[in-house]
Amino acid sequence: MPFLDPYTAVLDTRAAAHLLRRATFGPTQAEITQFTGLTAAQAVQNLLNNAVTTPPPPVEMDETAANPGQPFLDKPFNGDRNFQFGQFIKYWWLGLMTQQTAPPSLLDKLTLFWQNHFVTTREVVDDYRFVDRYLRLLRANALGNFRTFVTAVTKDPAMLRYLNGNENEAGKPNENYARELQELFTCGAFDPAGNKNYTEDDVKTAARVLTGWQYTNFWTVGSTSFDTVFVPAKHDTTAKTFSAKYNSTTIAGRSGATAGDLELADLVTMLLNHPQTAKFICRKLYRWYVNPNVTPDIETNIIEPLAQFFASAGNNWAIQPVVVKLLNSQAFFDEANRGAIVKSPAELLLGSVRFFNQPVPNMTTDYVAFRKLFEFLHWRMQNLQMNTLDQPTVFGFEPYFQTGYTKNWMNTTTVALRNDFTDALIWRWYEVKPGYNLGVDVLAWATSLQPDFANVKSTTNPTGTDPISCVQVLDAFLVNLFATSLFQTQKDFLIDKIMMQEIPRTSWNFEWNAYRADPTNSYRRNVPTWRLQNLLRYLLRMAEYHVF
Amino acid sequence: MNRRNFLAAASAYTLPVMLNGFELKAMTGQSALVQSLMASGAVQDSLVSDRVLVIVYLNGGNDGLNTVIPVDQYATYQSLRSNIALPQNTLLPLDGTSTMAFHPSMTGMRDLYNSGRLTVLNSVSYPNPDQSHYRSTDIWMTAADANVNLTTGWSGRYLEDRFPGYPVGYPNTQMEDPLAIQIGYNVSTALLGSQQSMGIAINDPKSFYELVGAGGSVSPADVPGGEAGNLITFIRRQQALAVGYAGEIKNAFDAGQNLSTYPAESVHNDLSDQLKIVARLIHGGLKTKIYFVSLGGFDTHSGQILYNDPRIGPHADLLGKLSAALWSFQEDLRLQGTQDRVVGMTFSDFGRRANSNASAGTDHGVAAPQFMFGTAMKHRTLGQNANLSDLIVSYGNNKDIKMQIDFRRIYADILKDWFGAGQPKTDSLLLHNFPTLSIFSDVCETVASGAWTNPATWTVGRVPTATENIRVNAGHVVTLGQNTTVRSLKLYGKITYSPGVRLRITG
Repeated sequence: MPFLDPYTAVLDTRAAAHLLRRATFGPTQAEITQFTGLTAAQAVQNLLNNAVTTPPPPVEMDETAANPGQPFLDKPFNGDRNFQFGQFIKYWWLGLMTQQTAPPSLLDKLTLFWQNHFVTTREVVDDYRFVDRYLRLLRANALGNFRTFVTAVTKDPAMLRYLNGNENEAGKPNENYARELQELFTCGAFDPAGNKNYTEDDVKTAARVLTGWQYTNFWTVGSTSFDTVFVPAKHDTTAKTFSAKYNSTTIAGRSGATAGDLELADLVTMLLNHPQTAKFICRKLYRWYVNPNVTPDIETNIIEPLAQFFASAGNNWAIQPVVVKLLNSQAFFDEANRGAIVKSPAELLLGSVRFFNQPVPNMTTDYVAFRKLFEFLHWRMQNLQMNTLDQPTVFGFEPYFQTGYTKNWMNTTTVALRNDFTDALIWRWYEVKPGYNLGVDVLAWATSLQPDFANVKSTTNPTGTDPISCVQVLDAFLVNLFATSLFQTQKDFLIDKIMMQEIPRTSWNFEWNAYRADPTNSYRRNVPTWRLQNLLRYLLRMAEYHVF
Repeated sequence: MNRRNFLAAASAYTLPVMLNGFELKAMTGQSALVQSLMASGAVQDSLVSDRVLVIVYLNGGNDGLNTVIPVDQYATYQSLRSNIALPQNTLLPLDGTSTMAFHPSMTGMRDLYNSGRLTVLNSVSYPNPDQSHYRSTDIWMTAADANVNLTTGWSGRYLEDRFPGYPVGYPNTQMEDPLAIQIGYNVSTALLGSQQSMGIAINDPKSFYELVGAGGSVSPADVPGGEAGNLITFIRRQQALAVGYAGEIKNAFDAGQNLSTYPAESVHNDLSDQLKIVARLIHGGLKTKIYFVSLGGFDTHSGQILYNDPRIGPHADLLGKLSAALWSFQEDLRLQGTQDRVVGMTFSDFGRRANSNASAGTDHGVAAPQFMFGTAMKHRTLGQNANLSDLIVSYGNNKDIKMQIDFRRIYADILKDWFGAGQPKTDSLLLHNFPTLSIFSDVCETVASGAWTNPATWTVGRVPTATENIRVNAGHVVTLGQNTTVRSLKLYGKITYSPGVRLRITG
């Protein structure tokens, strides 16, 4: 079993597609072609090069409001629009995930990882400016330094709201953030042997270290700024001593304006010194990018060395080198790990939009169409249990921590809802704007496969070109569609049972040529369209389409 | 079984002869005949075969001390949480007790309690309590010891034992319906079997059927190897189950009716919306054994009351929803005539701290009251009021409520007595032998030798009342220090009386 050693082979098409599926929300065919023939190191470097850490801000997407298409975050807080602006921030982020530069970047997939790690939600935070600042903090630090990241998140206004840090005061502690900081953000609750990584008293002690942090101007209508402040009078100035789990560390009590930062720095140092912290983060990255199933073998040969590297003096908690090492590794490209994750709703929906080249309208100039596209995708993702920026709990989306991991995306209801979404791509009933219905024009697509389209071979035109066969059509549909390969029995089933509905394959040739001969005749168009729709609809409903 | 049902069932035995030529199978599942036969079969398994369990998960850790208030210790209660303590005159009194009262939002649950359809189980928790939401919920759902990780749910293990091989070969003629249904989009850990969930998730039976459709051609079963193959097989099974069950669920939903009034949709009572579906499926004859529903929002670290008025705010709203939902559901079952074959239980991550925090909220705690609802429970109260003068004191002078009842004793009674799994099976499913709580037995038994007045002497976790039946088990010696009245006594052990003390048996 190969582990963290670099994957040195040149990427073939399947390996390129694998990397892009995992590092982004799903590739286009063009991107797969671009990445084929690169080394893994080159490919991963390409994925880093175009990281846009400061994208243009979200805009007003309601055409009936003042200044549509213009940014709203630079304007005073507008309570009446709080919910809607929060939604626009969600759509904006989904837009960034979907509309990629060339070559694509891994930043948004990694930002989602961190958003699902340091969870706060739009619903609880409830001030769109806080949500925006939080998201920008995640983007800016996603590839940065974990020590800086944890420190900044702790003081972030959205986090202070989400986990009640704002209400944590000397003599009146609120333990909510102090607990999750340890259980979810750094060392984790248990080590792999099942021992607790900290004590209940450590939760209470950490809460005292964190007293005094507050935010200003939450929901203050008309306010033009807001910030985190440290209130020395609300800070517990006594010394804080932790349990043996943290080597009985004592954090000296401080007072005055710098007390909060000084004690927080000590606390983060203590948390990073916990022997489980680096492993906890690396294990989570492995589950996100490679395989949710962490065996003892993987623990020893990947998680432990990667964690050692993460926390080493040379690396000093830099995140980017860890991500690079993982994505470049032999384990990442190992055949056994391909198709080993169930697609999240983001990977299924946004990935389909990308794979089938559905354009993302320009947010600034075509804001209504942009909103309509992401309204639809957001609502569908929410039904499928992935409400962007609104995780059900601080633990994040269930499939990233619950027994069974990403299998939890699939149950009898979500299976049906997924089918309903992929069917929508076939029937094309959702209008993004006039002339653009979401979905695949299967006839136009198959037409593009046909060489010498108008020159139909027949008894009267023996020098014409043969029709593309059903086998060619299926094979073309299957290019890069699935992470795994189909068996011949499955291909035969797809052609004979689904596409041809148990009539001879040669009928396709007649039907296709009849369409070629008279391409504007709606009856001639409908017959192959119907067959192609049946085929693609079935392909997208197949279990194979839902793993990557 | 009550007398009327028994007579109805007994007379039904002769009916198949009169219906010569008709197969029972041809009759609808909800016909009176089939129902009574199912409810009255001669063997134990068929006696309990139509019994249903409804699990209500209160997500986040309910603040038990503002749910069931020990009014006998009101001053202590008030001083522990002065910023959120409910004024004494707002509490809802309960029949037959002057020491315990409900939060003012819980009128429906009070009415259920007063009519013998709600049982309060005091101070439920487990040894070595954990205060992580995830871990503690996991412990509740898997019924693991606090220092053990299990990957299967307690009810999932039961269903897997009872319906071996699931989901391969299901649905089938013996069990055409889902084994367990969770209303919503996820399936809980409580329902996990060794390979996968023993339950299915449906959000809305009507749209579920339309969404799933009729199925259609099934692709060849070829699977690639490795992890991808496992996932593909898993997804195909989910697809097959969806198709296999959609029709049955729709039929039951169409055949069933809700007969009571539920909170209006505009109230957004998530729990009553879910229970309304459950009641209708039960009435429609679905044979599903376990339903799992949930209500979120109980993690009240901050602002659990509003405007300094402890009667209102998020926690009051949550308890109001729980109460209204259970009342409507239980009334529905009563009007349907299904109430005797359904019991329900609540659970939550943990209780909350006895002392409040300065944000008018409560941090993660230990023990809390839970509830059972239905007509099958034989006692209205199990365990006694939390003792607010005997709390677990921890760092920072924080105070937590001590456990009286290990939650696994509730599971044990449900498996053994409600589902009829028998003692050895129950022990193996729960990995320990837990003493009964006498939830479904009208006899208070001894669990150990001890003073009559020591709650720990009794299965019910409190001193028996004058109207209860007593059984002193073999090997136990109970010391009686004062005159006491009981309804009946079965003596397999021994009672030692203080001089002049009498035990009066009313019969």
